Amino acid sequence: MHMTRARRREALAFYLCISPWLIGFIFLTVGPMLYSLYISFTRWDLLTDPVWVGLRNYTVKMPNDERFWQSLKVTVLFTLAYVPLELIGGLALALLVQSRIRGIRLFRTIFYLPTVLAGVAFVVVWLWMLDPRGGLVNLILARFGVVGPRWLLDPDWALSALIMMSFWGWGRAMVIYLAGLQAIPGELYEAAAIDGASGWTRFWRVTIPLLTPTIFFNLILSIISTFQSFTNAFVATNGGPLDSTLFYVLYLYKQAFEFRAMGYASALAWVLFVIILALTLVVLRSQRFWVFYAGERSDG
Amino acid sequence: MKHNTVRLLLAASLVLLVALSACYAPATPATAPEPAAGEEPAAEEPGTVILRAGTGDSGEGLNPHQSIIADFEDQNPGILVQLEAIAGRDYYTRILTQIAADRAPDVMNIGDDAVPSFVSTGAFLPLDECLASLDFDPSVYLPGLLDPGTVDGQLYFLPKDYSTLAVYYNKAIFDAAGVPYPEDGWTWDDLLTTAQALTQDTDGDGQTDIYGIQLPANWTTGFEYWVAAAGGSLISEDGASYVGYMDSPEAIRAAQFYADLYNEYAVAPPPADLSAFGGGNSDFDTGKAAMRIFGRWPQAGMLENPNIDLGVVGTPSDAVEANILFWGGFGIASTTEHPAEACKFLSYYAGPEAAKTWKDWALPAAIEVAESPEVAGDPFNAVWIDELGKLKPRAYTFTPFWNETADPALRKALETILIDPTADVAAVMQQAAQEAQSALDELLAEQGG
Repeated sequence: MHMTRARRREALAFYLCISPWLIGFIFLTVGPMLYSLYISFTRWDLLTDPVWVGLRNYTVKMPNDERFWQSLKVTVLFTLAYVPLELIGGLALALLVQSRIRGIRLFRTIFYLPTVLAGVAFVVVWLWMLDPRGGLVNLILARFGVVGPRWLLDPDWALSALIMMSFWGWGRAMVIYLAGLQAIPGELYEAAAIDGASGWTRFWRVTIPLLTPTIFFNLILSIISTFQSFTNAFVATNGGPLDSTLFYVLYLYKQAFEFRAMGYASALAWVLFVIILALTLVVLRSQRFWVFYAGERSDG
Repeated sequence: MKHNTVRLLLAASLVLLVALSACYAPATPATAPEPAAGEEPAAEEPGTVILRAGTGDSGEGLNPHQSIIADFEDQNPGILVQLEAIAGRDYYTRILTQIAADRAPDVMNIGDDAVPSFVSTGAFLPLDECLASLDFDPSVYLPGLLDPGTVDGQLYFLPKDYSTLAVYYNKAIFDAAGVPYPEDGWTWDDLLTTAQALTQDTDGDGQTDIYGIQLPANWTTGFEYWVAAAGGSLISEDGASYVGYMDSPEAIRAAQFYADLYNEYAVAPPPADLSAFGGGNSDFDTGKAAMRIFGRWPQAGMLENPNIDLGVVGTPSDAVEANILFWGGFGIASTTEHPAEACKFLSYYAGPEAAKTWKDWALPAAIEVAESPEVAGDPFNAVWIDELGKLKPRAYTFTPFWNETADPALRKALETILIDPTADVAAVMQQAAQEAQSALDELLAEQGG
């Protein structure tokens, strides 16, 4: 390749600049990933040497492992329920927080706070609130004459309780939506108003289409992080009762550190990677159909 | 041109800075221990040996550790001990990763059921040499208390403390209800009638206010007592079969009775938090349950509790008299850099001197302290020590794979029968036996294959 000296210098400067990140990426991310791929073909209890077992973890252990399928089911259900709620809820919060009331900035901060502060502390607070006999949630329900379920102690309700607990994470989506909303030019709203569009129409015809890139971004981020949920289940229920909240990453953790099956846990991790990758690719491919980038011509 | 050079220099210095920061070796172990409040900073005198001691105790349970360490340091000026305490489930995970990273604490506190798996990985030193070098005579301990720390005839751990199960009862509630106190030699039927007489709805609102007995929910280890008392065992003696044992008529009878106490007779308060140890109930402590079956650990707190006028009695028998032993011990990491000092500390930590401090928190293992008037004369301690005569072997002693195979299956079975009053107990236990068996077979096939 013909490169002028200046170009080469610039390229060198570029690589030098990103070298801290690049070195970190290679040694702290790619390297361990490759090592874990190797480990997933072994049986290893962390203290003795790994023993090669080939594809056994993938072809024999996983398909026959009931708890693996259960954890997959729990995680998929949770994701299916939570992701739409986060997308819609985050948008609702962002729209609310845009209004010009005094002190609205304070609410913006409050809504975002749970994302920043320690997850474990919030889960403990929720544990108190969800206590079937004295917790806030059931006390409030009792006021309305409803006998609240036993929440985290009831296999039918525990997952719903965890979904509820995750609502505090809407702050992240809200902030990103806010940025997206700011990017919509005000003139479009004015033009629509002049043409006689009502508030609702303006929302559907102006806001949403121009927000689709943001929705797309939040969708991918949400899928990726929800599939990897761990902290809430670990602290609140530890997978119980009866494995009804056995999230995939929690099960992976148990296999690694409670049963000391590092090889199997690594195999589980790679399967998760492939699943999330596949889902992300599907969503990426679907962009064509519903994401509208301003400046492009729309399809007919 | 000049711009590019400046940029280049800037980038190069950035890289250098980052590289240098990575070269800095931290003074403390990379796994960042959380030292307890009593820890002393590393001394700068040459020749001072610093030992690290790991334990899973927390909160007030650290007090005896700290006072014993302080006494040891006074008597041994050249040695400092840092206590690394990690509470709860994370303790074993933490020392596991520390052992794997060759950064294990020199002396570690281990529970009995973890002994086989840790010893099988070579993480601990056999203690013969150490004890011989100090002329330490293991017969200072009560007979049988060295067994949980011995694997294949080799001693790896010295006992710290131990406990059996017993039934605490609150005399205040018994007196108010006019029910006679339970006596040694009582049976499951006696337990049921007593609990039923005590369970009452005191304010007429249709909800039980006082329960007969607080049970430890899905605590699998505690459940072994019930199976043993019914005359059964959860596993075969050769450690290869759960089927035929976990689902034997005796085990099913035990599970049925246990579940009935919760659901059918409703004399036990429903578990508050299944992910907490023993179900997370606090009903006995708040005076809402008249009895509680558990180990000795909370006794000190109960004695100071104004809600409780405490009495203790041995476990009720069914087909046979039974009880189980819980045991904690100390061992030396095989990767220790100071075996001699670690040995000295170990012999003190677990020795008769320290037992005088341990005795306030659990039953002392050293004979001289156990037989001292203070300990032997205490009416409560007499009950606990008497229970030692009813011991049945713990399930983990028959197989090193108990935790990975049977424990999850059994816990799930217990949760099922506790949560679902309509569950078919026999079917649930059979399923647990099958699950445990297939997990065991899979593990054995893996090991052999």
